[in-house]
Amino acid sequence: MGAFAGTQAANVATVSPTLQISATIQKAVSLTLATGTTGGISHCAVAAGGGPPDYTMSFGNVDALGVNAGACNKFNPVTPGTTNAIYWTDYQLLPVYTSHTAFAGTTVTAQVTTDFAAPHNIFVVRSSTATSSTTPTLTTDFAAMSTGSADTIGAAGVASGTALTRFIGVAVTPANGATVLQGAQTATVTFTLTVL
Amino acid sequence: MRETFNIRTQDRQHPRAGKKVTLPYVQVRIALIALILTVAFLVPQATGQTLTLSTAPGGIAIAGPAGAFTGSFGTMNALGVGTPSAGVTNIVLSNGTLYYTPYHLRTSALGGAARTASVTAYVSTNFAHPAAFTVESCPTSSPCNASGQYSVMSTSSATPTTIITSQANNVTSTAGLALFLPDNNGASQFTGTDSVRITFTITNLFNGNHKTVTLTLSATLQNAVQLTLGTAPGGATITPAADFNLNFGNVNALGIGPGAGLATTAVAGGNIYHTAYLLNPVFSAMTSTTGTIKVYVSTNFAHPALLILNDASATNGPYSAISTNAGAQTQITNAATDRSSITRYLGLFVSNVNGATAFNGSDTATLTFTLTVP
Repeated sequence: MGAFAGTQAANVATVSPTLQISATIQKAVSLTLATGTTGGISHCAVAAGGGPPDYTMSFGNVDALGVNAGACNKFNPVTPGTTNAIYWTDYQLLPVYTSHTAFAGTTVTAQVTTDFAAPHNIFVVRSSTATSSTTPTLTTDFAAMSTGSADTIGAAGVASGTALTRFIGVAVTPANGATVLQGAQTATVTFTLTVL
Repeated sequence: MRETFNIRTQDRQHPRAGKKVTLPYVQVRIALIALILTVAFLVPQATGQTLTLSTAPGGIAIAGPAGAFTGSFGTMNALGVGTPSAGVTNIVLSNGTLYYTPYHLRTSALGGAARTASVTAYVSTNFAHPAAFTVESCPTSSPCNASGQYSVMSTSSATPTTIITSQANNVTSTAGLALFLPDNNGASQFTGTDSVRITFTITNLFNGNHKTVTLTLSATLQNAVQLTLGTAPGGATITPAADFNLNFGNVNALGIGPGAGLATTAVAGGNIYHTAYLLNPVFSAMTSTTGTIKVYVSTNFAHPALLILNDASATNGPYSAISTNAGAQTQITNAATDRSSITRYLGLFVSNVNGATAFNGSDTATLTFTLTVP
């Protein structure tokens, strides 16, 4: 009786079984949001929402005259009763992607997928230059975030693992009337990382 | 009754008198009759009934002159590795292996068709290495094809093991003989050839007469080693497939969606998918009671920079790359003990690299584990 291949053998002192390991590598993408870290301003917290929503952010009490301080930063209306007040903050986006053979055209977009209700006396804004990471200083540094299509907030070439700082807020219009929104209101913004 | 003793008055030398004496014919005759009657009442006659052992279909060859039979179990080991010798069947148990064979017992010359006999047996001369072998017996009343039907054969002539309770004249029946081999490592370890003598006693149940025959069995014991892998509680499934297989399924460098039994740990440059698994070392008839288990990547992934096999002693690591060098293997333990499972952790590092060297698709590698027992 001699040695037997595999798991057992007789009349010897050694046995060497094998374990075959198999795996299928898939490419993967990840886009996470975090509270901003820009110096000199306040930060509205980005909280994990548990999905859905994935994250939540609150600007606190807001009004069209800028009377309320809000949860972070605000620009009072240039002409109270005529122009909008803007409550805003910075935030971070962290795109990560792996095992992609092509990635030079990678982008990040944002779109208001569930807007505040009509008559839209409050709406979501982002930096006028959507890809800007420069801290806004004026109300005109903000523009409405698109609701019908996505705004590119990370231009082609977004790197994996490098955080992007962007600015987002809500504009409150001085509109009056029977249907204007009051009280707690919510909207949803959808961010999309596309690796290509 | 006619006396048939052919004895005449003769000269006998008294052992202690030192002088020649003469016993009268009648005196001798009376003394002999008394002696014969005494023996006849105290000890049943050892003549007449006959027990013949022989080869049973599917059993080992039993040969030898009447009354002194022989047989061989051939080469065996306590792990039941390999094919047993002709006529021997093995049953692998949790603490050794039982090798058994059927054999025939024929009772004859009982002095009448209506008479019956019983048969008992005991180990009259045990193996020189009794820690390595144990004789077990199965009576004719049992099929003798399962371990539970065998019991250790007595080593005492005063309390022998019953083989046949009652069997008629000129009848042949089948019983079972077995050798149980425990793992028996360490000081009592033995490899080589040994033998045992079993004494069978046939007793005529009509008149109590009995007779003994012997069966000498030889066997050659080899050492053996075994190493198997198994699924750990809560771990990924390891399946037996030339020799074992573990499929991590779909993996990615972000650790998204690990498969059943897998966990992930983010590390620099990627992610490690990991699982617990079991190493089950078993060895027998070894001088040492401990062995060494090593492992190395004997066939690496086609993309060895993207997938790297890791080893750890705890689920949370630290994980270290498993050697790809057969000459410098990764040691898992140098204190593996017989039939004591070891829980170990296998990790698969998945690189997060993008670009031309990135890869999507299936890949395989082979780990070779080696158990060595001195």
